[in-house]
Amino acid sequence: MVRFKHRYLLCEIVSEDPRCRQCIDERAVSAAAKDAVARTHGDYGLACCSISFTVKYLNAYTGIVLLRCRKDFYRLLWSALPFVTYLENRNQRYSCFFNTLHVGGTIRTCQKFLVQYNRKQLLLLLHNCTSEEERQSIQKSVLSCCLKEVEEEQSQSGDEEDDCAETD
Amino acid sequence: MVERGAGRGSQPAAFDRIVFKNASEHHYMRVCVEFQEGGIRLNAAHFKQLVISALKELHGEVGAALPVDVLTYEEKTLSAILRVPSSGLVKLWSALTLLGSYQNRKCAFRVIQTSPFLLALSGNSRELLLD
Repeated sequence: MVRFKHRYLLCEIVSEDPRCRQCIDERAVSAAAKDAVARTHGDYGLACCSISFTVKYLNAYTGIVLLRCRKDFYRLLWSALPFVTYLENRNQRYSCFFNTLHVGGTIRTCQKFLVQYNRKQLLLLLHNCTSEEERQSIQKSVLSCCLKEVEEEQSQSGDEEDDCAETD
Repeated sequence: MVERGAGRGSQPAAFDRIVFKNASEHHYMRVCVEFQEGGIRLNAAHFKQLVISALKELHGEVGAALPVDVLTYEEKTLSAILRVPSSGLVKLWSALTLLGSYQNRKCAFRVIQTSPFLLALSGNSRELLLD
C-alpha cells in the first residue's frame, strides 16, 4: 500500500493570561508554529513541514491543538514547538507556550489519548477546586464520564462473550 | 601464518579486529567564494560570518549552530579549508550551494575539493603543472 503517512502532534497551549483563550484560532496557531519552524530550521525546515501541515482540531476552552505533518519531518516540527513564545491575533500578542502531550500516527489514537487525559485532568481539577459549586459541577461531570466508561465495559464484555461463543 | 614453536602449551596469537564504519569523524572542504564585482576583500572573520549566515538562512538556528571551522584562509584568492563533522556535511554543502548574495552583493561558492582526510587536500591533480 502506498500512501502518505502522517504524524499527529497533540499539544496544549498554556498561558498565564486568561484572554489568550480568545485569540486561539487556527490561523494564529498555524502562523506561530510555522514561524517557529522557520526560525529553528530555516527555509528547508519550513518547506518540509509545510507540505501537509494543518491544524486538525482546536479547542479554545481547554487549549488543545492537534497538528498534522508528514511522518518524515515530524521531528523538525516537534523540536521547533518549544520555541513558540507568543500567539498573535488582530495585532494582539499573548505570551504562551506549547506543551506536547502525545504523538500519534492517526487521529483515532490521539483522540483515545485525549479522552483519558481529560479524565485525569477532571480528577485533578476536583482535587484542586476551591468553591463548593465548582466542586459540585466537576463531581457531576466526573460521574457522568465514569458511568459511561462502566457501561461501555459491560457492553464490550457482552460482545466479547458473543464472539467467543461464535468461534467455539 | 607463523606458528609458535612451544606447541600446545602456548596460547594462540590473540588479535583484535576493529572495524571503522565511518572513516573519519570530520569532513574537510576546500572552497572559494566568487563575487560578481571584483576587488572585494574579506578577512577571516567576515568569511566565517558568510558561511554561518548561509547555514542560518537555509537551516535555521540549528544549522547555524553546526560546528564549522575555518582551518586556513587566503585573502588574495578568497579560498579556505573548512572542517565540519561528517553528520553536517550535507547541511553545509547545501547551504553553500544555495547562497546567492552577501550584504546585497551577488556571490557564489565554489567547492574545489572535499575529503574525509585533510591530507588529501594537500594536492590537487587538476592544478598540477607539468613542466
